Amino acid sequence: MADSGKDKFKYTLLKGIDFSGFTVFDPVVRLIFGEDPKKQLSDIGRYMVTPVIFIIGCIIIWSVMAPRHKTKSGEVPGPDRVLASYQNNKRFHERENEKQSDFNTDGAEREATLAEVQEQIITYTALAEEKAKAAALAAVEVQDTIDAKILPLQTKLDSIKEKSKEAQKLRRENISTLAEGVAANTAESSALITAIAEDKALKEKERESTKDLKTQIDEIRANPPKRLKEAQLASNKVADELQHLKKRVDFLTTGNRSEKVSSSLEAAKEATAAIPLASTGPEVLKSAKAAVRNTESAERAKEQKYPRAATVFWQAYRSIFTVIVGFLMACAVAIPVGMMCGLNRVFMACMTPIISIFRPVSPVVWLLIFQIIIGAFFPNPDEHPLFKFFNASWNPLEFLQVNPAMVFSAFTVAICAMWPALVNTALGVSSVDKDHMNVAKVLRLGFWSRLFKIIIPSSLPLMFAGLRISLGVGWMVLIAAEALSSSDGLGKFVWDEYQNGSSLSFANIILACFIVGTIGFFLDRIMIVLQKIVTFDDGSATV
Amino acid sequence: MKRLTFLTTTALAAVSLPSWAAPLDVEKDTLKFGFIKLTDCAPLVIAKEKGFFEEEGLQVEVIAQPNWKQLLDNVITGELDGAHMLSGQPIGATIGFGTQANIITPFTMDLNGNGITVSNSIWEKMQENDPKLATDKPPHPITADSLKPVVDEAKDGGKKLPMGMVFPVSTHNYEIRYWLAAADINPGMYTSTDLKGMTNGDIELSTTPPPQMPATLESGKNVAYCVGEPWNQQAVAKGIGVPVVTNYDIWKNNPEKVFGVTEAWAEENPNTTIAVVKALIRAGKWLDEMEGGKFKNREEACRILSQKNYVGADYDIIKNSMTGTFIFQKTDVREMPDFNVFFKYKCTYPWYSDGIWFLTQMRRWGQITEPKSAEWYAETAKKIYRPDIYMKAAESLIEEGHITSEEIPAKDTDGYKPATSDFIDGITYDGKKPLEYLKAHKIGNKN
Repeated sequence: MADSGKDKFKYTLLKGIDFSGFTVFDPVVRLIFGEDPKKQLSDIGRYMVTPVIFIIGCIIIWSVMAPRHKTKSGEVPGPDRVLASYQNNKRFHERENEKQSDFNTDGAEREATLAEVQEQIITYTALAEEKAKAAALAAVEVQDTIDAKILPLQTKLDSIKEKSKEAQKLRRENISTLAEGVAANTAESSALITAIAEDKALKEKERESTKDLKTQIDEIRANPPKRLKEAQLASNKVADELQHLKKRVDFLTTGNRSEKVSSSLEAAKEATAAIPLASTGPEVLKSAKAAVRNTESAERAKEQKYPRAATVFWQAYRSIFTVIVGFLMACAVAIPVGMMCGLNRVFMACMTPIISIFRPVSPVVWLLIFQIIIGAFFPNPDEHPLFKFFNASWNPLEFLQVNPAMVFSAFTVAICAMWPALVNTALGVSSVDKDHMNVAKVLRLGFWSRLFKIIIPSSLPLMFAGLRISLGVGWMVLIAAEALSSSDGLGKFVWDEYQNGSSLSFANIILACFIVGTIGFFLDRIMIVLQKIVTFDDGSATV
Repeated sequence: MKRLTFLTTTALAAVSLPSWAAPLDVEKDTLKFGFIKLTDCAPLVIAKEKGFFEEEGLQVEVIAQPNWKQLLDNVITGELDGAHMLSGQPIGATIGFGTQANIITPFTMDLNGNGITVSNSIWEKMQENDPKLATDKPPHPITADSLKPVVDEAKDGGKKLPMGMVFPVSTHNYEIRYWLAAADINPGMYTSTDLKGMTNGDIELSTTPPPQMPATLESGKNVAYCVGEPWNQQAVAKGIGVPVVTNYDIWKNNPEKVFGVTEAWAEENPNTTIAVVKALIRAGKWLDEMEGGKFKNREEACRILSQKNYVGADYDIIKNSMTGTFIFQKTDVREMPDFNVFFKYKCTYPWYSDGIWFLTQMRRWGQITEPKSAEWYAETAKKIYRPDIYMKAAESLIEEGHITSEEIPAKDTDGYKPATSDFIDGITYDGKKPLEYLKAHKIGNKN
């Protein structure tokens, strides 16, 4: 009994693995349950260990090759730099969290945090000074080494220049005497012409001879020793942290919500108290107005939220939301239209030209068209019910800050993701087994029963295969759409990084590459699971 | 610990002071402003980060925009409440060059801050043409005279040198044109059918968004460009080009960016507009504050600007130009304390004469296709530049003790700066005589 219970659990697990498409873990589960260990171990070695070794190999090649390729924006970042950029982004995210919680905190907790932050500021101030000194020292040292390296080259260059200057002078004099000679008929004009041509050629040669030295000098200047950059980065890092701590103090004192509320209330109280003390009409009015205004601003302060800066994690959430909305819109159009195409050949004939013409159009073009067309529906986005709904404080999606740019992106995703789903649905519906349809005829099923009992169930596998492709296409399109429409999301993250052009930008772009890939992978897995649920066969054709 | 409690209590005392200096009754208190990733967006960012907006009772979000066109469109559609704009944008929009919309500006954000960078190969050729340039520290200002033979040679070879600027109505467009034309190089004219401004040009000047400039220089799409910071310093840092001239040399203390909102928005939200200008003036003053002969707050400003949600370039690169040092070449580092001016010289006041200068340039290069009267210039400038709003904000700041009356123009000013000949070619500009100014130039429309 216990055994069969264990077996049951094992098969449930295996089924789950098979369902989610992570079949590589199948031998691991079997091994744990002691099923044919030899075979499982060999399977694990073949299908798990080998790929892992391969990927490690790829990472090693990447880390060796990347720093060798020097671009104008610095060297290609290796895995270590990308990891550092991830940590940087995480720190940025954490800082936003810290500031947000500082803004919201109150009472004893606020004071405790404030004391803690003040303490940190003292340590960091000392550290920052130290690092800044080190960086300044490194700058001087590096300059000295560079100067020392350049000096011999420069002297050489100067002497060559001096020499060629003299030679040029001599030649010029020679030429002018020759010219005089030609004028006085004492010299051949051909000699003059050769002399001038020679002078030109020599000048070119002299320029060539200094060129090498010049490039050498430039190169030394362009590539200062790394420790300068490192010292500067270390100093910057501490200074950044210090600045962040100072900003936190702001959010714990004057910028703190509860402090704002209480100071406004205090002011209101004082103004109210001043009313009976005032002697003239205007003074009374002034105090009364101040009381009202301060009460109002206290009310407003209560409602205030910390304005978060866009972090990569938030942008990822936003991208996922946009792609899901776009995908659902695509489904809403593609499935019914696809079914009609599959059911009615005339309708299919009508739709074919439209599908064939619009399918290859680039997402960029769609985005521009939607920006113009849909933009007209939101003359005043703040007042539009759609955005009011999404940005209402009770809405759990409020943190995503839905805006028109997001709507454009979602529409672009929808129109580009629509086609695979549409075509596959049409194909699925039109290729329903003839026998099934004949059975339906024999049973005299009505249109709706035929649709829901036979056509849809038997076309589901193909339909879902199409939807899976659609979601993949949508995700790819979204990143481009966001970059172009500057709708906050991973696409904008990439574009902003490209525009920032800081020393970390390149690593950030590669980081985005991994984030986009990982999310895409999981979206695909979800579709696989859905597809397996509706498919009757083993689904081996879909992996 | 004692010190800590002291700090805490002083902080609390500061908080609980009654705010008698009444904030205005703002009509709209959550605002979205757009900016382009350039260091001269600093007043907007600082007003937010240092809490100047907050003190006016405004919750402001500042959002980076991909390019000037989209920024303007977003302001017009209402997606943004206002934005960091090129001086020419409110003017261009109001007179209908490009997208038509009535945009006004109550605040000039800064002076100077642009440079013209040429690629290394062009720089070498310029040095050959003018041996004085072939030193570690060539004499300034560098005119385009040594560029002229290079342009001619390329033209003889059937190729017009491609150059970049950031937007058709941007200061950069007018500056690079001015610099070229001063050396007898025709940068090309706009006509009613040629909206790219390439007619009869000796070169080909086209639009590229600022952050992409270094990339276009590297790829050879442009051989020279005019852009704001940090994109000139970026070229030096990457070793792909040499900034030859800054716009300080082309026109000393020229107006650069403005803060623009639509006229309808300003009419709907008069108090909000004043509150915003108040915060921006304070931010400008904060940026220009000096201490011991050095900028007091600029390093902090650079650190804020280098955050990725603002300009996002490396702190060290932003710091160069912002703290008054400009690197022309690795061997040629110069002090330029006035490279970015955010408050000094009464610069934040929206001068009519500045607006008229941009109008004359639009006429000079044919963006305004018809000759106009001197009155038209004055009237148009008055429609767009709104010192009335500025003065209300400034007076309220004086009352609150944040600025003094010496720091802003006198109440009875007519809004025109005195005539100046601080141009690279020495021609005098007087905002009251736009037509004479047009006649004084050799290249371009003269009426």
